[in-house]
Amino acid sequence: MMHAKERLKNNVFEYAIALITLVVVLLIPFYTGLYQVNVFTYYLICAILGISIYFIWGIAGIFSFGQAAFMGIGGYAYAILSKHFDDPSKCLLYAAVAIAIACAVAAILGYFMFYGGINDVFVGLITMCVTISCQTFMSQTAGSQWQILGVALGGDNGLNDIPGLTIGYYRFNELSLFFLLVILVAAFYIVIKIVEHRKFGYAMLSVRENRTRSELLGYDTAKLQVIVFTIGGGIAALAGVLYCCWGYYITPASMSLKASTIPVVLAAAGGKRSLISVILFTVLYYILSNYLTSAGADTLLMLGALLIVVILVLPQGIFATIIQKLQGLIQKAEA
Amino acid sequence: MSLFGILYQFSDSFTFLILAALGLAIIFGMMGIINLAQGEFIMVGAYATTIIINQGFPYPVGILGGALAAALLGFVMDRLIISHLYQRVLDSVVATWGISLVLSEGMLQLFGPSMQSVSMPLGSVSIDGSKYSVYKLLLTLLAIGVVILIYLLFTKTEFGRKARATMQSRDISESLGVNTKAVYSETFVIGSALAGLTGALYAPTMTITPTMGNNFMVQSFVTVMCGGANPILGSVLSGGVLGLVNSTLSVTISAFFGKIGLLIITIIIIRVLPTGFTGLIEKTGARRRR
Amino acid sequence: MRWKNLLGVLLATSMVAGSLVGCGSANSALGGGSADAAEKDTIKIGSLEDWTGDYATIGIQKYHAAELAVEELNKNGGLLGKEVELVAYDCQSDTTKYQEFCKKLVQDDQVDVIMGCMSSACREAIRPYIEENNALLFYNNQYEGGVASHNVFCTGTIPEQNCEVLVKELLDQGNTSFYTIAADYNFGQIMTQWVDKTVVENGGVVAGEEFIPLGTSQFESTIQKIKDADPDVLVCELVGTAQASFYEQFLKSGIEDITMASTVQIVQSYDHKTITAPALGNMYVTGGFVEEMADYSDAAKEFVDMWRAKYPEEGGVYMEGEIEYTGIMLWAKAVEKAGTTEVEAVIDALESGEISVESAAGTVTIDGATHHAIKDIFLILCDENHELHVENEIDAVEPYWLRDELKIDLRVESPNKQYTPIDE
Repeated sequence: MMHAKERLKNNVFEYAIALITLVVVLLIPFYTGLYQVNVFTYYLICAILGISIYFIWGIAGIFSFGQAAFMGIGGYAYAILSKHFDDPSKCLLYAAVAIAIACAVAAILGYFMFYGGINDVFVGLITMCVTISCQTFMSQTAGSQWQILGVALGGDNGLNDIPGLTIGYYRFNELSLFFLLVILVAAFYIVIKIVEHRKFGYAMLSVRENRTRSELLGYDTAKLQVIVFTIGGGIAALAGVLYCCWGYYITPASMSLKASTIPVVLAAAGGKRSLISVILFTVLYYILSNYLTSAGADTLLMLGALLIVVILVLPQGIFATIIQKLQGLIQKAEA
Repeated sequence: MSLFGILYQFSDSFTFLILAALGLAIIFGMMGIINLAQGEFIMVGAYATTIIINQGFPYPVGILGGALAAALLGFVMDRLIISHLYQRVLDSVVATWGISLVLSEGMLQLFGPSMQSVSMPLGSVSIDGSKYSVYKLLLTLLAIGVVILIYLLFTKTEFGRKARATMQSRDISESLGVNTKAVYSETFVIGSALAGLTGALYAPTMTITPTMGNNFMVQSFVTVMCGGANPILGSVLSGGVLGLVNSTLSVTISAFFGKIGLLIITIIIIRVLPTGFTGLIEKTGARRRR
Repeated sequence: MRWKNLLGVLLATSMVAGSLVGCGSANSALGGGSADAAEKDTIKIGSLEDWTGDYATIGIQKYHAAELAVEELNKNGGLLGKEVELVAYDCQSDTTKYQEFCKKLVQDDQVDVIMGCMSSACREAIRPYIEENNALLFYNNQYEGGVASHNVFCTGTIPEQNCEVLVKELLDQGNTSFYTIAADYNFGQIMTQWVDKTVVENGGVVAGEEFIPLGTSQFESTIQKIKDADPDVLVCELVGTAQASFYEQFLKSGIEDITMASTVQIVQSYDHKTITAPALGNMYVTGGFVEEMADYSDAAKEFVDMWRAKYPEEGGVYMEGEIEYTGIMLWAKAVEKAGTTEVEAVIDALESGEISVESAAGTVTIDGATHHAIKDIFLILCDENHELHVENEIDAVEPYWLRDELKIDLRVESPNKQYTPIDE
């Protein structure tokens, strides 16, 4: 096992970038308006979705298009619970239950897939099917027969007027929600960095690199994959809950084909093997998208072209490459 | 409903699934690449066909033109982008997603949000006291013809042998002197041409818009998924089973159940046959050989 | 390999630079410098429409209508002596983009009114935000009805206007049995309930109905069921370009003697121009406006000529484009009456019942109690050559449902929610 000090040295650039990013992001409210802070909160929610993809794909090699579905399930569950009980002081409890529900769904789906010997690209395709099923189903639930806990599901128009996030008696406003998101993303970063260098993290890596070998070494790979998939589903569900708290709204469109592919594409283009890259690229992509749209440009065309160029020129992903290069320079200078 | 009516419903579902999936299946089966731009290649084929027919050319010319246009586009895309990603299957997800955005947006800029479509050729025919569209019947025959042609291409020609060898083991084929890069290139172009052909054939039945490719996505993915890596036999089998489920549910209950049923049966099939029908074919094949 | 590295660095730098520009705004959320906009010298109209994506056909039309309306206002001296400015964003047929840019319009651009939204989903996405910030939204689009909100005005046709007229007219022509196929989401389901309700109340028979998932493009099983039911009238509430594929397939299935009817096709997205004749032959539609009404009234001709002069390349201007234009004119009238763009004052003016515009589609008046529009409805027949004929005109059709059946009066109290007939 690598010594902690050595590990720090080898990753000094990544940590430096992470730290600088954190500082820059924390400063955002000081030099931009409330609107920018508010949309940036949304980008950070997307970053959490990206983190869930890094967790299952980057570390454990599970290629899933299902994160949007778990985000949707988490969001809908939270929305229904908070609308039904109508007691904002118990928000955290609703969020916890919503995430638990999404985890349960992920666990069942994971059990179904991984114990059935489904892997690689097929996991991607099957999760895509699940996501589209969810969307197709939810879109047609406009009728009054579609109710959960007395809350009409609202069909394609979705659920709105979802109460904002409240902890105890404190109701989050746009600014505090932003800081909460910054803290959450930072916390996820730190926790995942720690887990990666623990036994569980190495077990995940071994499953990614070679399933047969891991199995021969005594790992229960299917069980491990189910656990990872469940946790990943939970993280995505958290993003869904936060999305509801941000926009007071959720629709079946959050489980569409597009919604399920974009985070995966962004993770791959940022550099799926590097957490900081996934986070940075996801956020920058949305900033760029907002900027281009504000400027009246053909956003989708330009973003499409950008993705192609990135993947051709920087196969490791845009930020992963930069970090690697800089790290290489440092080591060369030291030598 | 008459027996022919039932058969007609089934063949209609089957044809759509098979044609939607074939291009994707060949690229996926031979190269392992999930082409997220499959729908846009179909769209390009449909646009080319529509433009050609609107210029006054006969339908067969238009349909051929659609396939060729998509093949040409596939060739260019392969040279520029895909050929750099042969060894990086999952990266191709990003690239093909990018391609799909660029193509559909580019088409919107070029031709606007919609285009005058062409009408379905041939009229209707009365069988068993009920009327059916001749073109839709013809589509089924054409789909079967295309499948047979592709089957022959991959089993009886020099290219087919090389392609199958490359699919089984790229390294060994390469050491035996097969230019695997060329094989991949050709495969991608054939896959694109088939997608274009699908667009061309369905163009007269559909509204022509830059986003029309999306309407094929779900069907093509589920068919390929159930079919597995064997692009021809796998797709035919899965098209058959899924078509049966889809048409039965659509006719007896509603189109919604047809669509949901398609997705659910796919999940079940994958669970039972993790490598799709390909696995089943290989298993029975192995048993027979024993 | 070197150039590749260089390109990579350039790419990264440009992205970072782009993002900084995106963030670089004058007022900060924490560092004071409050958004003082009292001294604005222009009046701003915000527009949220889809210029790209699935709804582009209608979105582009509506965005151009807004451009045209603003140009007309300025040509006539602006509003309250100030110049009118249009701030428009492309929402890419994506509900989250609507949320993002609605916030931008309200907080950053501080517009005086927002014109926009195509689908009900995107309207519902931004409605709570509009209400919370006491902003003003004009939703100029046909929809399923039922929005009762202090801050939202809906000027498009709603079921009690187009559906009821359509069904009654067809019953008058001697048809009795109706079969409905509709898109499987809120709009389609609710429209179907209105069709069924009107058919039954007026002595007709419901022969059947089927809901079709959005994005469906192949219809053989649906056609089979229609064949088996053999109705007099087929009501099609199909939505989106994929579902418009139905007509060609229906034509070639050899079914004859079924009259088609719709409130969506033709009037919204000029399908009679994109679908080859005679697939839409013998179809009746009801709605507020079609470009072909230029032959029917002078007001319509004037409007279409104006549009054609500015957008000669465009597919055409139909109901949603026209009502977007009229919506802006209605708001402008209310601003003039109120003497200010202040939201409460404008809402008061709109609720007075005196805000009325002579538009290309006839007289349009805002109904104060429901925040919907009293308008003329036209029955239009599409013939075998896909030429349109105005068959009948029903003047001043009231948006009665919220007011008479749910007893809602937004001047007194606003529930700020969307009611649906299914609520009953």
